[in-house]
Amino acid sequence: MITGILTSALLLWTPLAIAAMGGLLHRVGGVVNIGLEGQMLVGALIGALVSGATGNWALGVLAAGAAGGVVGLLMSLCVTRLGANEIIAGLGFTIVLSGLIGYLLRSVFDVSGTLRVTGLDPLPRVLGLDPLFLLAVVLVPVIAWSLRNTAAGLRLRATGDGFDAATALGIPANGIRDIAGTIAGMLAGIAGSHLVLGQVGLFNEDMVAGRGFIALAAFYFGRARPLPTALACLLFAVFDATQARLQTSGVPAQLIQTLPYLVVIAVLTATAVRDARGKSRRAG
Amino acid sequence: MSVFQGSNPGKYSRALTRVVRAAVPFVIALGLGGIVLLATGHNPLAFYQLLVREAFGGVDRIAATLSAATPLLFTGLATAIAFRAGVFNVGVEGGFVFGGLIAATVALQAGLLAGMVAGALAGVLVSALPGWLKARWNVDEVVTTLMVNFVVAGVTGWLVTTFLQAKGVANSATALIPQGSWLPDLLPPYGLTAGVLVALALVVLYAVWIKHSVLGYELRQTGLNPRFSAAQGIRVGRVIMVSMLISGAIAGLGGAVHALGVVHRFVDGFSPGYGFTGIAVALLGRNSAVGVALGAVLFGALASAGTTAQLFSDIPLDIVDVLSGTVMIFAVVRLWRQR
Amino acid sequence: MSVRLGARGVSRAFGAVRANQGVDVEVRAGTVHAVVGENGAGKTTLMRILYGLDQPDSGTVVIGDRPVRLRGAADGIANGIGLVPQELAMIGSLTLLENLVLGAEPRRGVRIDWARARAEAEELASDVGVELPWTAVADTVSISVRQQTEILRALRRGADVLILDEPTAALAPAQVDDLLRLLRELRDAGRTVVFISHKVDEVLAVADEITVMRGGKVITTRRADAVDRAELIELIVGEHVRTTGFVPSAVIGDEVLTVDGDVALSVRAGEIVGVAGIAGSGQDELVERVVGLRPAGGRITLSGKDITALAVDRRRAAGLGYISGERRAEGLSMDASLADNAIAGTHRAIGRRGWLAPSKVRRYAKRVLDSYSVRYGRLTAAARTLSGGNQQRVVIGRELDRAPALLVAAGPTRGVDVLGMAYIHDQLRALRDNGSGVLLVSEQLDELLELSDRIVVLHGGRVAGELPGGPESRTAVGALMLGRKAS
Repeated sequence: MITGILTSALLLWTPLAIAAMGGLLHRVGGVVNIGLEGQMLVGALIGALVSGATGNWALGVLAAGAAGGVVGLLMSLCVTRLGANEIIAGLGFTIVLSGLIGYLLRSVFDVSGTLRVTGLDPLPRVLGLDPLFLLAVVLVPVIAWSLRNTAAGLRLRATGDGFDAATALGIPANGIRDIAGTIAGMLAGIAGSHLVLGQVGLFNEDMVAGRGFIALAAFYFGRARPLPTALACLLFAVFDATQARLQTSGVPAQLIQTLPYLVVIAVLTATAVRDARGKSRRAG
Repeated sequence: MSVFQGSNPGKYSRALTRVVRAAVPFVIALGLGGIVLLATGHNPLAFYQLLVREAFGGVDRIAATLSAATPLLFTGLATAIAFRAGVFNVGVEGGFVFGGLIAATVALQAGLLAGMVAGALAGVLVSALPGWLKARWNVDEVVTTLMVNFVVAGVTGWLVTTFLQAKGVANSATALIPQGSWLPDLLPPYGLTAGVLVALALVVLYAVWIKHSVLGYELRQTGLNPRFSAAQGIRVGRVIMVSMLISGAIAGLGGAVHALGVVHRFVDGFSPGYGFTGIAVALLGRNSAVGVALGAVLFGALASAGTTAQLFSDIPLDIVDVLSGTVMIFAVVRLWRQR
Repeated sequence: MSVRLGARGVSRAFGAVRANQGVDVEVRAGTVHAVVGENGAGKTTLMRILYGLDQPDSGTVVIGDRPVRLRGAADGIANGIGLVPQELAMIGSLTLLENLVLGAEPRRGVRIDWARARAEAEELASDVGVELPWTAVADTVSISVRQQTEILRALRRGADVLILDEPTAALAPAQVDDLLRLLRELRDAGRTVVFISHKVDEVLAVADEITVMRGGKVITTRRADAVDRAELIELIVGEHVRTTGFVPSAVIGDEVLTVDGDVALSVRAGEIVGVAGIAGSGQDELVERVVGLRPAGGRITLSGKDITALAVDRRRAAGLGYISGERRAEGLSMDASLADNAIAGTHRAIGRRGWLAPSKVRRYAKRVLDSYSVRYGRLTAAARTLSGGNQQRVVIGRELDRAPALLVAAGPTRGVDVLGMAYIHDQLRALRDNGSGVLLVSEQLDELLELSDRIVVLHGGRVAGELPGGPESRTAVGALMLGRKAS
């Protein structure tokens, strides 16, 4: 039972971690990305379609990343160039994308909600592990190292913490945010493709089921640091794997599903209390 | 531009700018929707004409539009009050859903009025924790209220399936409320209930209260500049808390009105995102009473017309989400330089 | 010596405001050139143009005797010009070293060569004779250290002309001395320094040449040794400034404020008590404790009543007034209407049964603004639309109109021109002469000496000593500020 949970937890961890790494980069650059959910959904659909059309999982994953990246860039442009509020833009994009996808499913593909793509090429597995799992595992240290030791990482951190100061130093802060938003979208798109190609094998319009928001919860939990964020994803994946198994034994799944969200509220509160103790100015 | 900006009606020219500015997101949305429709082989102009006719063409259609606007009046107003106090409450959806469940449950036993009160209280319960965390510890309310929505979704699902499930119903739903406890119809048989009157009364009350009451003054000042407010002796924490409680109460009352007037029970998918559309309504209306009313009617028209238009054409209702989501994104963008 | 950097006939207007009008300046290589003038004289606009951040409407920037067009900060940097702005461009969460190299990182392949960065940093620092904690996070170090980092950053980018915009505004006297020494050293090493200030004594201490600006125009450029202090002040202000001088209080009554705890002091009726100290010596904490914005240890009484546990509104009701040192962030709500700003803190008293009658609000606000000669158009206009001096009058009017038993005035003349300053000083004295107590916190020693009946000096969060007001106390207060015993 424990190994069973662990195996399925690792499978569930992969898309969470990839999407959360994208959100983390965007967060470090100073933008809270609430659009991960919609970007994952786009990635899932495009991944399924392209994998089916080409019979090649790798092309499916790449196309999913590209589609997610385009959406991420558009969303970022709304925020950086048009002054849209990042929260509103994120929610709005998620609403538009799920509406658009539902519309296309019904009007073009003539299905209601679920799309079986013929010739879909699923991710290969070696010892039960798929390539995207490896990608997630590699991403965590690579991102941690890059943030510290590359000019891009340094500039991204500078943009996130001191937008005006960075601009004054001649750093194209808006451009950097756009790049971060694009990468976040790409990773979210790839994460979405994992749901189809690595887990379910077909596309459903509700298949992301809040994972984009769990990823958001994870990088809040990990305070935008790669390793803690990845571990938070693992914790949430274990919750998820456990509830799927406990469901049969009468433990309420709906309540276990709320755990990640409750954990985030608790973490944010603990952080805020510590900050408030640090500087003692009161709100009123 | 800040989403917390309030309205300052007065000069006609400024009112005109306001109208133009509010129209821009719709124009963009119709354009984008048009591209989608064209690409999938539909005539957008014909579809939009159909939408307008289905939204406003006749007493029955206007009644349907107002009926669809009713939940949005509540959620838009609930959002606007919090935004006005500088609190970015995106948890109105949770208050609406929980209010609906509790109202549907209480009304089964204790009737209409008790159901409404219980619904409002349930909404207060949902907003109280994030409100208190923000007021006391300055915990980022955007994330906590967003998370509370998901927690509420899980908890309501569990409550329904575990304790409140109606017998002989396939999906998860509570028992049907007896007709005696329904909100009365205003224009039978068009399904417009007295709920819209409750909503409009609240909107009018808000308009006067925010501008001319002491608490409304404190709420506006807190939203504009909390540090200034604290230094002048306004108890910022208390104002934030009050704004969140009122916001929650209105959200919960909205859920109650929806349960007791329209659905007559609580079911899965009780709210197709009324709370989130409410954010778009508040943004589009710049948190003013008139703006919220107009915004709710516009989005209500989209929803009601989209539903029936679906019957007359083979265009799926999902197109409405594309339109309203686009309006939401562009409601707050800066399309030309200001100042 | 040739001209290193200059302006010829530079004009720049922002809407109706003509920030620069036909400005001619010549900064000769290897000199410290001061540009002085009051707030709004056009100094910062000129510097932004010289650096390339802004472009003139007409006229031209001159570099090494030849006219050039600077299209952006990058052009300024390419011409060897560095700007140290008033609001330092430091990223709080990065280390000083990271801040130093940000935007021009030494690289080895894709990674930043931290060893080389560190070596460059040490070399730059020892060149100009400073020592910096390179691995410290910027938020945790003093303004003076951040400023030095910023200067080194400009040098590292190859600047041999350094423009410093009001660099001493937030520094303690001893830190000012260090900065002036650093500027002289840069000059002696052959670099050129443009020093913007409105503080006459610093300018006279460090500059070789002085350009005076007023109302967007250059009034004159003089050699520093050819002008004396009084003359320079008159050039800056444009008229002879009437100074009241030190007038001690005639009648002093009972204590209106007592504070216990780390900082213990009292203020009596009819008395102005000044609080002196270098920045960060506990002034902010004291003000926030007295006003009620910070939970207090120790006991605070107002007119004999224990207010330790009271919130801000109750303290105000008990007779407290507060002029915030941060007008734009705390003193006023810039986006709120003038009426809403004027009634803030009094709004509960104006209201009846929870409602504010519009006519009553208008009457009250109009009376306050008119009696403190605020120039405004409409009561519904946002506070942001007023000039800085007028904004401060709104604050003064709102607080003084309530005739507080105790007024806490923190930096009441910050960002106000000399004439506005005289007005505010008169108002504070008038309040005192009517029997109120004033707790005056200021970073301007002159202001404290001239206004205060007593001066309490803070050092390291504690009271270092207390001295009588008046110009004779200058040296003694200065010594206490640095933590030395007054002789």
